Amino acid sequence: MSRRVHVALFEDGAELVAAANACSRLRIPIVDAYLPFPVHGLDEAMGLRRSRLPLVCFGGGLVGLSLGLALQYWTSAVDWPLNVGGKPFQSFPAFVPVAFELMVLCAGLATAGALFVRSRLLPGHVGVVVDPRVSDDRFVLVVAPAGASIRAADLRALLMEHGAIECREQIVTDRHVEARS
Amino acid sequence: MALDHAVLDVADTTPLIGGGKTIGQVTRDVCSPLERSPTRLWYGAFGAALTALLIGAVAVGYQLRVGIGTWGLDRTVGWGFDITNFVFWVGIGHAGTLISAVLLLLRQKWRTSINRSAEAMTIFAVMCAGLFPVIHMGRPWLAFWVFPYPNTRGPLWINFRSALLWDVFAIGTYFTISLVFWFIGLLPDLATLRDRASGWRRKIYGWLSLGWDGSARTWSRYETCCTLLAALATPLVVSVHTVVSTDFATSLIPGWHATILPPYFVIGAVFSGFAMVLTLMLVARKVMHFEAYITPRHVHAMCKVLVFTGSVVGLAYLTESFTAWYSGNPYERFTFLNRAFGPSGWAYWVMVLCNVVSPQLLWFRRIRNDLRLVFVLSLVINVGMWFERFVIIVTSLERDFLTSSWSHYTPTLVELGTLLGSFGLFFTLFLLFCRYLPMIAISEVKGVLPGRHER
Amino acid sequence: MDGDRPGRPWRSLSELDGTFVPFDPNADVRREWFDLPTELVDGITPSRRSFLKLAGFGFAGAALSACSRAPIEKAIPLLVRPETIVPGKSYWMATTCAGCPAGCGVLAKCRDGRPIKLEGNPQQSIGRGGLCAVGQAQLLSLYDAKRLTGARHAGDALEFSAADTELRARLDEVRARGGAVRVLTGTETSPSTRAAIDRFVGSFRDGRHVAYDALSSSALLDAHAATHGVRALPRIRLERARRIVAIEADFLGTWISPVEYTLGRRMARDPERPAEFARHVQIESAMSLSGSVADRRLALAPWQVGAAVGELARHVAARAGVKLPIELPPFDDPMAAQLEAIAADLFDHHGRAVVLCGSGDVAVQKLVNWVNEQIGAYGTILDLAAPSFQRLGDERALATLRRELDEGKVEVLVIAGVNPAYDFPDASAFRESVGRVGLVVCCATHEDETTALAHWVLALPHFLETWNDAEPVAGLLALTQPTVPPLKAARTLRQTLASWLGDARDDHALVRDHHQEWLAAHEITGPTFEQSLHEGFFEVAQNAATTAAASRPFRAAALEVPAVGALPPEGALAPVLHAQVGMPDGRHAHNPWLHELPDPITKVVWDNVAAVAPATAQRLGVTTGDVVRITAVGGQAVVELPLLVQPGMHPGAVAIARFYGRRGTDRFTRVGPQWLEAKATVAPGGVVGVDVSMLREASAVELSATGRRVKLACTQDHHSLTVPEHLAPEGGEVRDAVREVTLATLLAHPQHALERETTEGAELWPEDHLHAGPQWGMAIDLSACTGCSACVVGCQAENNVPVVGRDEVRRHREMHWIRIDRYWQGEAEDPRALHQPMMCQQCGHAPCETVCPVLATVHSTEGLNQQIYNRCVGTRYCANNCPYKVRRFNWFDYPHEDRLQNLALNPDVAIRSRGVMEKCSFCVQRILEAKLTAKEEGRSVRDGDVQSACQQSCPAQAIVFGDLSDPASRVSRLAQNGRSYRVLEELNVKPVVNYLAVVRDQEERRDGT
Repeated sequence: MSRRVHVALFEDGAELVAAANACSRLRIPIVDAYLPFPVHGLDEAMGLRRSRLPLVCFGGGLVGLSLGLALQYWTSAVDWPLNVGGKPFQSFPAFVPVAFELMVLCAGLATAGALFVRSRLLPGHVGVVVDPRVSDDRFVLVVAPAGASIRAADLRALLMEHGAIECREQIVTDRHVEARS
Repeated sequence: MALDHAVLDVADTTPLIGGGKTIGQVTRDVCSPLERSPTRLWYGAFGAALTALLIGAVAVGYQLRVGIGTWGLDRTVGWGFDITNFVFWVGIGHAGTLISAVLLLLRQKWRTSINRSAEAMTIFAVMCAGLFPVIHMGRPWLAFWVFPYPNTRGPLWINFRSALLWDVFAIGTYFTISLVFWFIGLLPDLATLRDRASGWRRKIYGWLSLGWDGSARTWSRYETCCTLLAALATPLVVSVHTVVSTDFATSLIPGWHATILPPYFVIGAVFSGFAMVLTLMLVARKVMHFEAYITPRHVHAMCKVLVFTGSVVGLAYLTESFTAWYSGNPYERFTFLNRAFGPSGWAYWVMVLCNVVSPQLLWFRRIRNDLRLVFVLSLVINVGMWFERFVIIVTSLERDFLTSSWSHYTPTLVELGTLLGSFGLFFTLFLLFCRYLPMIAISEVKGVLPGRHER
Repeated sequence: MDGDRPGRPWRSLSELDGTFVPFDPNADVRREWFDLPTELVDGITPSRRSFLKLAGFGFAGAALSACSRAPIEKAIPLLVRPETIVPGKSYWMATTCAGCPAGCGVLAKCRDGRPIKLEGNPQQSIGRGGLCAVGQAQLLSLYDAKRLTGARHAGDALEFSAADTELRARLDEVRARGGAVRVLTGTETSPSTRAAIDRFVGSFRDGRHVAYDALSSSALLDAHAATHGVRALPRIRLERARRIVAIEADFLGTWISPVEYTLGRRMARDPERPAEFARHVQIESAMSLSGSVADRRLALAPWQVGAAVGELARHVAARAGVKLPIELPPFDDPMAAQLEAIAADLFDHHGRAVVLCGSGDVAVQKLVNWVNEQIGAYGTILDLAAPSFQRLGDERALATLRRELDEGKVEVLVIAGVNPAYDFPDASAFRESVGRVGLVVCCATHEDETTALAHWVLALPHFLETWNDAEPVAGLLALTQPTVPPLKAARTLRQTLASWLGDARDDHALVRDHHQEWLAAHEITGPTFEQSLHEGFFEVAQNAATTAAASRPFRAAALEVPAVGALPPEGALAPVLHAQVGMPDGRHAHNPWLHELPDPITKVVWDNVAAVAPATAQRLGVTTGDVVRITAVGGQAVVELPLLVQPGMHPGAVAIARFYGRRGTDRFTRVGPQWLEAKATVAPGGVVGVDVSMLREASAVELSATGRRVKLACTQDHHSLTVPEHLAPEGGEVRDAVREVTLATLLAHPQHALERETTEGAELWPEDHLHAGPQWGMAIDLSACTGCSACVVGCQAENNVPVVGRDEVRRHREMHWIRIDRYWQGEAEDPRALHQPMMCQQCGHAPCETVCPVLATVHSTEGLNQQIYNRCVGTRYCANNCPYKVRRFNWFDYPHEDRLQNLALNPDVAIRSRGVMEKCSFCVQRILEAKLTAKEEGRSVRDGDVQSACQQSCPAQAIVFGDLSDPASRVSRLAQNGRSYRVLEELNVKPVVNYLAVVRDQEERRDGT
């Protein structure tokens, strides 16, 4: 899949956020932004929803916990109860540590897994490369091409005045998607 | 709580990152060492570490072939260097998680320049630690029996009441979560390396960076994920050393059978871990020329953590001795007198000197400013913490209930070789890490740089 | 579980088709072996499944038959009636121990035609079921590959027949010439052999039989010859005594017949009848086993034995109001007062008191006899009616022989079963004078110092592979039968001499015929040889009446004044060369079990040491582990030995165990694991311990430090229940692992002689476990236990406990499942030992079980703490967490130094591999055997059906094993006893071993234990 977009390069995250805010005020759809490190205020500017990873994390933990307790109870008290040091077959206090560890393990793995899947972070996957300097010191804002709401020249001007050092139209392709389709 | 307090009073004195670095400079500074061929110093260090590792491998190989008898253990002292080293290394690991997780939650900006290598240290230390429970078994080739898997023996499961088994799960979880956390932290920097590199390096880094493109959407999920993992890792790190301490606390040997052990072990772990971080950072700072990134301000912060945890450890020593006396339990009381004045008393005093007395010097700014002194102190503390574990494990076992079975433990060459080997393994891995991965979390450091307008 | 679910994993064919039943102890015993598929029985064509099943049985069978350790065709002897042998099933054969001349009855447990365990024969009146450590260890000596075989002359091996023809010729010419022929043996308790010897020497004009003992009681025999007109040892019936005074006689350890005396003493000291409790006083210079458990102990200067006995006699005379027939020099020694009290006490128990003396001085023994006469010991405790033949050595005859040898008079010397070149009073002189003998024939079991000098060497058999008989005491004919076909071509002295006289009968015939003669001589008709053989002995009834009947007149005229012992010069010490419990004389030097048996007193293994009093050590500036040079004053004999500081020693004496440093013990060089830091048990070409026989003539020795130190292989580092001064609170700390009560306390409140804290109601959780069937438990009466260590070797033999060698013991890695903790309490000058057998306490709340990650140690429904070797991964956590430290870890593989000794392994007990934990199992294999027998007989297990190996071997019957859930069982009753307590009870680990406090007839102790 590929599309024609406006790309603006910034040297400072704050400027990019300002530009993004301006765009959203003018109802110019922001496709995405590419940054060397997270810049605060951008989520709001782009109107991103809060991530649902915490739910995944909680679910994973719940599964791990119940799995741990069930495993320990079944093996020690049901499947083959053995008299170990005169302790009760169902020695709950002794089962707490393992149950806890399994909870943390499952929660952690679930969260990380969710991140990888949701953000398509997979081995061999090559992401959207708007500009190779993104991973160094460039902040890139990608907005929809000029359309009904604004003319291309105005859009460029708007971005430039917010400190964009470079502004161009280009076709972005997600090679990963391309490879699939 | 106490940690950010330890840092607050140095806030705003010096900048976190010196030399008015720009974002681009940060990238270059951290990446260029990896793109140059290694220095002679690195080769020297690596050679030394590898030698130590090989010595250890020979020692372990010999022990596996001939038997545990090649260690200095006996019918009374069943654990010596093996479990001492295990607890020591697990302890070392804790600082990494603490810095990356707890300080993250506490929003301690100063962590950014050290957390990467601290986390690496955690992973390598846990690897060293994990080695010992396996080789200390009489039949290590059956080590997999500690896992609950369906089998044709009944199925005969495992004993979930045994603290050793809790260890298996605690250490396993701890290692996995730390590794995941570390790798996720590495992703943006791997992307940076990928974009700077070419040829096969680019391929490898590209593969490892999982196609990271710095999209704002990814960044926002990424930050949530890190916070969640940090929130998980914080109780985890506490639980791990608590579980390790239950190896002793849940037994009935006087000197082991104590409820104070869990907090005591956890704080001890933080203490030793920070000492080790300090050691490594001070070396890396010089070797990799990171003076601008690891500034006196970091050193000061860590020194204060050491003073605090060191004092808590000292308090723990006092408390357990008081409990022994106040309990009126003759065996308990004897054990502690024996620790201090018995045949292995010297080890006890080495421990007190290194862990309680020496960190107090760090109260003085003059000493904190002298990085050579700080370096020496960090080494002293590491020695002391090793001895703490030795004292707890060995002196308690040597003389317990029946006087007829009292004995005295002395390590053999094989055990010394194994200890050396574990250090070899640790530093070999760490040096490789310095060579091939960014020692400093580039994206995080960029995050704490002052923006263009603030400059 | 239902077997029909498809794809369900299955672990046995029987489970696959649903017939699998987990082992249920109460199920029909045959079920656990096999279920025959019914379709086969019904003759229907077998299904694939049942075919597999049968095939499985086939393979299993093949595998099993391949597993047998010994080549069957060799191991099943035709001597034993074949129908008695079921392969894999044990059977018992009665025989007689020849470890020493005491002649305890033995039941040999045999399997597949070979003995695998020796146990005391309860019917036979010497051992009465007990068997000492040495006796237990004889099993291993049987399987000694280094034993001699066939005949040897001038270096080349021959058939016996060939040897006989040559020897007969030599003997005939000597006979014709009328040359002197001497047969030199030890105490020969076998009447048939004595007869053969007499016939042989009788066939020469100048033939004589000389017997001597390395551990001689010749003086005692001579004394009785003088005072009672019969050269015999009285049989000592200690069970009849109320007062026992032993002077330099370790009658519980090494003196004449320890097993017999141990039980006698125990019966005389029954805490259940405190009023009858016999007081035991020991007067000795070195600390002996008997001294360690005595009620009162006086440290006597070695040179004062005679004087002390004289003083005792004087006071007895005074008390008795009779005049001492001889004039004794005054005895000025602080001990005099105590001796007076003792004398009075003895006389007050007239007829119930006895004095035992180990002195080698005839005059002293005569005095002792006089004392015994005065206190009425003869005819009650000392039995001359049926005297003992357990020592027959005659020093005077020996002296004559030595003179003849020096003069070169002897033409033929036949040496059998003794090693004069090693244990003669002056071995060096013998070695040199034996060269003048024309023909030296040596019958021996091993290469030794003497065979090296002999012209002819003929192999002697081990008693477990021969026919023999013995008359240890008059009226008791004990028989010995082969339990295994001869492992070596060897021949008894009896048969050798017979064949030299042209008597073609084999041993079997000789012994059988003599049995009939013996019966005839005793005018007994009845038992056939087979009957006696089945019992292992035939005994003429004896009782107090017969003893009293034959009281002989006492010849006071024979008394003489004992020579005054030489006081050693200033700074010198008097050497006391004694026998050691594990090594009573040199012939056991090839037995690793005995070398690795911790000495009951010193706890040292694989060595003999020079023991001195703490004060002496301080004066000499030496301490335990220092190698000292011991020089005979006015002699040139010098030996170097490690020193050991021994409480209770007389400050003027140095005690050294004899019978070490035996030639050939370098065989133990490779005993124990070989690794980087290992030190060889014996240096190549070296020997175990040091031979000190050259000091025997010396009356005084000088000790000097060499500056060298060695780490002794000692199983105990801390020798007291009192914790070190500087680690104890004000007033010191004494641990109460061993409890004591005085006789006074016991008399006052027999029901609760000690207060014990109870942990009832200390449970944290409800008891939700199934306790089915008997709840096994044990009771150990510490008052009976003498620390003799028979149980240690008994357990070692029963449970395949390996020998680990000196270096491993030095590293505290001994493997014994039962150990005897020995604590010294009281002052260093007058200590008392507390011996405590310690084995797995089979705790109900076992700390070891909780900590094992892989469930390798769990609790059985019968209260056993089970160790599952093949599940163990060897974390050693269980051993760390064991408060009794009774768990043993296999640090290495411990193969037998001598592969033949694998035949001694008990097939019922698994051999533990390297890296697993092991420990006392309460002899679970015996429990199972008893249960299976009971089931086959359709009854439940009765009290006493199961005897643990340690219990069985105990000469003092101190250990009782049984079902604690049965209130009537002996063990339950003992557990309720007023003296009963459990070690570390306050930990609430619920041990099931009940110890009964030591009872001592002495005033309240000062150190507050």
